[in-house]
Amino acid sequence: MSKSPEELYKEREKRFNDAVELKEPDRVPLAPLTGFFPMAYAGYSFRDGMYDYEKMVDAWEKATVDFQWDMIPPSFVMFPGPVFEALGVTQMKIPGRDLPANRSYQFVEGEYMKADEYDELLTDPSDFIIRKFFPRISKTLSFCAGLPPIRSLASCYTLVMSGPMVAATPDFLNALESLKTAGQELMKWLAAQNRITTELGAQGFPLLCQAMAQAPFDWISDFLRGMRGTMLDMYRHPEELLKAMELFTPILVEGTTQLARLTGIPRVFVPLHRGAAGFMSNEQFEEFYWPSLKEVLLQLVNAGLTPMPFFEGDYTPRLEYLRELPKGKVVAHLDRTDIFKAKEVIGDVLCIKGNVPPWLLCTGTPQQVEEYCRKLIEVVGEGGGYIMDGAVAGIPDEAKPENVKAMTEAVLKYGMYKR
Amino acid sequence: MSENLVDLIVGLNEKEAVELVRKRVESGEDPLKILDEVRTAMAQVGEKFEKKEFFLPDLIMSGEILRQITDILAPKLKAGTETKRLGRVVLGTVYGDIHDIGKDIVNFMLDANGFEVIDLGVDVPKEKFVETIKEANPEIVALSGFLTLAYDSMKDTVEEIKKAGLRDKVKIMIGGGQIDETIREYVGADAYGKDAVEAVSIAKKWVGA
Repeated sequence: MSKSPEELYKEREKRFNDAVELKEPDRVPLAPLTGFFPMAYAGYSFRDGMYDYEKMVDAWEKATVDFQWDMIPPSFVMFPGPVFEALGVTQMKIPGRDLPANRSYQFVEGEYMKADEYDELLTDPSDFIIRKFFPRISKTLSFCAGLPPIRSLASCYTLVMSGPMVAATPDFLNALESLKTAGQELMKWLAAQNRITTELGAQGFPLLCQAMAQAPFDWISDFLRGMRGTMLDMYRHPEELLKAMELFTPILVEGTTQLARLTGIPRVFVPLHRGAAGFMSNEQFEEFYWPSLKEVLLQLVNAGLTPMPFFEGDYTPRLEYLRELPKGKVVAHLDRTDIFKAKEVIGDVLCIKGNVPPWLLCTGTPQQVEEYCRKLIEVVGEGGGYIMDGAVAGIPDEAKPENVKAMTEAVLKYGMYKR
Repeated sequence: MSENLVDLIVGLNEKEAVELVRKRVESGEDPLKILDEVRTAMAQVGEKFEKKEFFLPDLIMSGEILRQITDILAPKLKAGTETKRLGRVVLGTVYGDIHDIGKDIVNFMLDANGFEVIDLGVDVPKEKFVETIKEANPEIVALSGFLTLAYDSMKDTVEEIKKAGLRDKVKIMIGGGQIDETIREYVGADAYGKDAVEAVSIAKKWVGA
């Protein structure tokens, strides 16, 4: 007798949650992240993923159903190209505009905040981000540079007089049309996003995650100071860097928590960049990266959410730190970490997700993929607490469909837990 | 406080190291002698990176010290003071990929170990590699890439080098976040290095150093 979509939905949620709680589910869950793979699989261009919302919805639904993933991979990673264009965001290279149509978008890192601006950032982060940062990365938002200090808006009736003054500037008037376009496009994009969740939800597929969080170090390093900038700060401005991370920790958590509550999806994607083994020493990690990241993860757990940090790169030398996280509340998505060793070191504390390598999925054979998946299931899946996924950001854009199918077949063939 | 320039650089004492160079130059010391000590220091920095005593923040800081010292020394140095190099490497991140962190570390480490590096930057068209190989006649080509899209870009680049009849003239190594031995085979490169340290040892082996 076939199950109803409601039953399937609950079953999939339970399968995932059991694994998070380090219990044995009915079988190993398969809940990958993706980038542009669904677009390629459905025969669309990568550019379509960011510009043609109908095709994006179609691709997401097709991939999720065909591969019978336990959860819908987050589709918000298909950022709306027209919104970024309308805002004139210079921090992103877009497929079909700055890159070939079938290459993933990429962020352009830079020193968008100078080392001598820590004082301003620390005095009033909102003011700095609104009046300095955004005008530097967005042509449309350059009018924000002409806003009065954000603090001053808190004094009596400032907005009544200063607001219209800003609204009369040429920068603002020029921005109006673009802002309108950005708003309309964003609403269209959100409607498409909701369609995926609703339509696939009606077929019994829950959404993996909608909210995202970052390590405070990465927020400052990826977007404000650049990697070179933050790493020099570790020598030249360690106090300021640490203070800035402390300051941003609750801000980052609040935003994420709000979005998670709004969408009702408790799982939070936390992509991590600069904390990996090749980047800094354990001592540097312990001083500059881990404390604020740990705080973000703890606060998310305390808010009733399930953070899913994606430990990009190699964290094998850092596994002991990860043991400091609360038991059965966090999903550690591993990339090049020795996942089998991770099972030994953190398997009793954290649910492990990963790590079918991209080279296997892109250039290997279904047999090779099945073999690797079987080993993952047998070793990392032992006793529960394991969710299958690709390694780096899930299923690579260029994965061969037959290899992705081999993952599904492997969990069905080898992933059943005996009851 | 140590007055030994090598120790100051390797100890990443930025201000003291730069100040000492300034003083020594002002007192009329031969800039070539200072440059020699700087080279010794940078080689030690490279060794510390190999031994995992140094990581990226330390490399970047040492690079920053080096840049300031070079700025002071450059006007004092006559042209043609280039030292003999172990070999020449053409390096770049393959087309479609704009990531430079890994590539820059490889550049730093090859340079610190005595190689001349021609860095073509990121998102390098395959034709650019061919052109540069023809012009510069390097022993080694090093292809970098961070995203999985680099698999095909690397393969295409190697093909292009082959088509130009240059494949036998150069050794090709690849590396990057999502690269492994499987991809070396797929791409048709001669070696895969899992990090900058391996890149150096492969390069040294190839030039017989």
